[in-house]
Amino acid sequence: MSPRKLIVVAALAALAATDAKPMSANAQTRVSIGVTETMETYNPYGDSVSLLYGIWCQVMGCLGTYDFNKAEYVGMLAEKWEVKDPNNWIFHLRKDIRWHDGSPFTADDVVHSFNRVRNDPQSKQGQNIAPIASASAVDKYTVRFTTKQPTAPLPEYIFDRLIITNRAVYEKYGADTADRKYPIGAGPYKFKELVPGQRFVITKNLDYPGMKQLKQAPDEIVYRVMREDEQRVTALLNGEIQIAQFIPPHLQKRVESDPNTKATSVDSVEIMFLAMQPKPPFDKKEVRQAVCHAIDRDRIINTLLQGLATRLDGPIGPGQYAYDPNLKPRYDYNPEKSKKLLAQAGYPNGVDVELETPVGRYTLDKQINEVIAQMLNAAGFRAKLLTPEWATLWSNVQAGKVPFYYMGRGSVVDPSVALSQYFETGGSPRIGYSNPKFDKLLATERQTFDPAKRKKVLSEAMGLLTDDAPACFMWRHKMIYGMAKNIDYKPTPSGRMFGEDMRVLK
Amino acid sequence: MPVLLLITLLVFVLLHAAPGDPASMLLGQENTAADLEQARRRWGLDQPILVQYFKFAAAAATGDLGKSFRFSRPVKEVIAERLPATIELAFFSILIALALAIPLGVWAGARPNSWIDNLGTSFGLFGISMPNFWLGIMLILVCAGSFHILPSGGRSTYGVAGAAQTGFYFLDSLLDRNWPALKDALLHVLLPALALGANMIGILMRVTRSSVLDADTEEYVVTARAKGLGDRAVLWRHVFANALIPIVTVAGLELGTLLSGSIIVETVFAWPGIGSLLITGVTSRDYPLVTGVVIMYTVVFVVINLIIDALYAVIDPRIRY
Repeated sequence: MSPRKLIVVAALAALAATDAKPMSANAQTRVSIGVTETMETYNPYGDSVSLLYGIWCQVMGCLGTYDFNKAEYVGMLAEKWEVKDPNNWIFHLRKDIRWHDGSPFTADDVVHSFNRVRNDPQSKQGQNIAPIASASAVDKYTVRFTTKQPTAPLPEYIFDRLIITNRAVYEKYGADTADRKYPIGAGPYKFKELVPGQRFVITKNLDYPGMKQLKQAPDEIVYRVMREDEQRVTALLNGEIQIAQFIPPHLQKRVESDPNTKATSVDSVEIMFLAMQPKPPFDKKEVRQAVCHAIDRDRIINTLLQGLATRLDGPIGPGQYAYDPNLKPRYDYNPEKSKKLLAQAGYPNGVDVELETPVGRYTLDKQINEVIAQMLNAAGFRAKLLTPEWATLWSNVQAGKVPFYYMGRGSVVDPSVALSQYFETGGSPRIGYSNPKFDKLLATERQTFDPAKRKKVLSEAMGLLTDDAPACFMWRHKMIYGMAKNIDYKPTPSGRMFGEDMRVLK
Repeated sequence: MPVLLLITLLVFVLLHAAPGDPASMLLGQENTAADLEQARRRWGLDQPILVQYFKFAAAAATGDLGKSFRFSRPVKEVIAERLPATIELAFFSILIALALAIPLGVWAGARPNSWIDNLGTSFGLFGISMPNFWLGIMLILVCAGSFHILPSGGRSTYGVAGAAQTGFYFLDSLLDRNWPALKDALLHVLLPALALGANMIGILMRVTRSSVLDADTEEYVVTARAKGLGDRAVLWRHVFANALIPIVTVAGLELGTLLSGSIIVETVFAWPGIGSLLITGVTSRDYPLVTGVVIMYTVVFVVINLIIDALYAVIDPRIRY
């Protein structure tokens, strides 16, 4: 062998002999999660994607979250809360929480966080505190939020969204340095590393009350950005990650057929609907109802979606706040009735409509809407399907320029906020619907602090909405998570992923 | 300079003309009209586009590319953070391309219609024809999915690399003498570099082959053979040396294609470079970020062209500037 060849062979052998084992020896258990959203900023208020709310909530801390098992809001940094009067909410904070540097967590931190969401020029979370006029510390462990108007669904706005950050660190270093160099939180996990566009690493905080007992909760969690479905699945099968978010239905079998991985699904809180702006021809209720009767949702769910969705009869479904299984009316699949309704509305010979859908944003959105367009055509419509790019469609929808579209609204736990945003007069131009009776019910609901009574009013409002049909409510997709078999984790409908809920089995 | 001005103006106008609005893309679905309004004001989007452009151009002239809407950080800083990843990827793509394409091309050109020529030509055709996103996904499926021999994406295994010094993982691990990290970095870059470089391999191989074929019939080659020079000496010293000019020109042009190809390949492989950054910028209508990245691409193109021109003089002594 020539000397040159020898060197090459020796170099290759040396390379092969070295083993890429992680150097950090401290982490006993590590769970890597392939996520679809990207993390780009060190500022906890600098982005408004669902994934980051969940991570910052674990690292910095947040007042509470919705427990889907108990079907109620539960406290995290807040121990309990009460409504003093319709405009004043009192949050009693836990006294046993300390910041990761050992200093005590107090009401001043909460007030500071509220002010930062409002005043930080980089904040993209103003919408979470929109109903709140002011925040003040009553004493060291008590915070008062004063709302602009009575707002019974306040927890929906702020729980696991209002991220609590350390006031002292902020005042000492200023926003940029505090965020980048001193991400000292008070949550059950600690900040370890953030590489923008790549990963977010957090480690278990054993000083957080109760965390020592959670022995099987992962010591370290690595959130890795992997936008491509194929890559997330392959990385899971390859053992590079232990949890893969949002597996598309056609890849589920691959995950299930591997001896080391499994797939779990959960109904998303995102509600999918067909929105119709009350402009001709949709200014007529009969036309809107005709659309709802024209679509065979069960068939779409069972064929295209392979059963991976749950039909909606009304704006929300089981597990969401104020869900009423007996909500009326229900829209059966009845194209003949659609034709009759269209004739009643003055369109006996059918009517032209343009349906717009995003492509690739929701599970099989384009394919679903191709089928919907055909179903509409079979029921007397002449539907044309348009598929603009997401940024275009979304901006146009928000500007009120799209008359008929397929869309989802995520984060619907308590439906009040979403219903107001899409259907209350002046809520947003997205549909431009206006119904004084519905507005009144929503206003009443927001002022009703007794949960049983409030649910009743909400249910009445949702019944009215379903009947008047400014939107046809379609389904909630099931989100599929791929997991290594040694991970015990039940994904939440909201998509929040908390380390405390994960167990690493031997 | 005029090129840069024109390009920035073009990008600026085109971006603003495209439908879509940064505020509605970045504020989350719960936003209210007041939130949108406030964000637009904060980002200066409520001003006439010409005013926006002049403000941008004035700042850019002093080297300030503005702050990214999405990242809430200076564009320059964000680009500087991602640039090493793309350069590293491009470097290995070129390395693989040159290492495979030139020997194959020279060999095929020297022995036309032999089995090696047929193999090389088919190989070249494959490289040119395969869209790189498809090739990328196939490589992931086969090498990571079926054989589990290479990672499916990303730049490194978490916990292996030491602290970043240069941002080039390959260099960093060499400087640290961290061999596991070096191996990790090489394993991670292999598939994306191959997917990105496949096209270049194909084109370079074919250009090399035809240039060698052309040069092979030149009189000086016949003379060299007549003088009794050995086959190898004729091939490398006379044929190849004279075939280099078209090869370098095409390689330079292909570098540009490489940069645009990296936009797709980086997304497929979750490679955190400029390409995936551009996608993030475009999808969220982050005007300052997209403009900044385009300026950077323009500068890189200009620099590459300069280098190629300078290389001509080295390769061909008759060329003088």
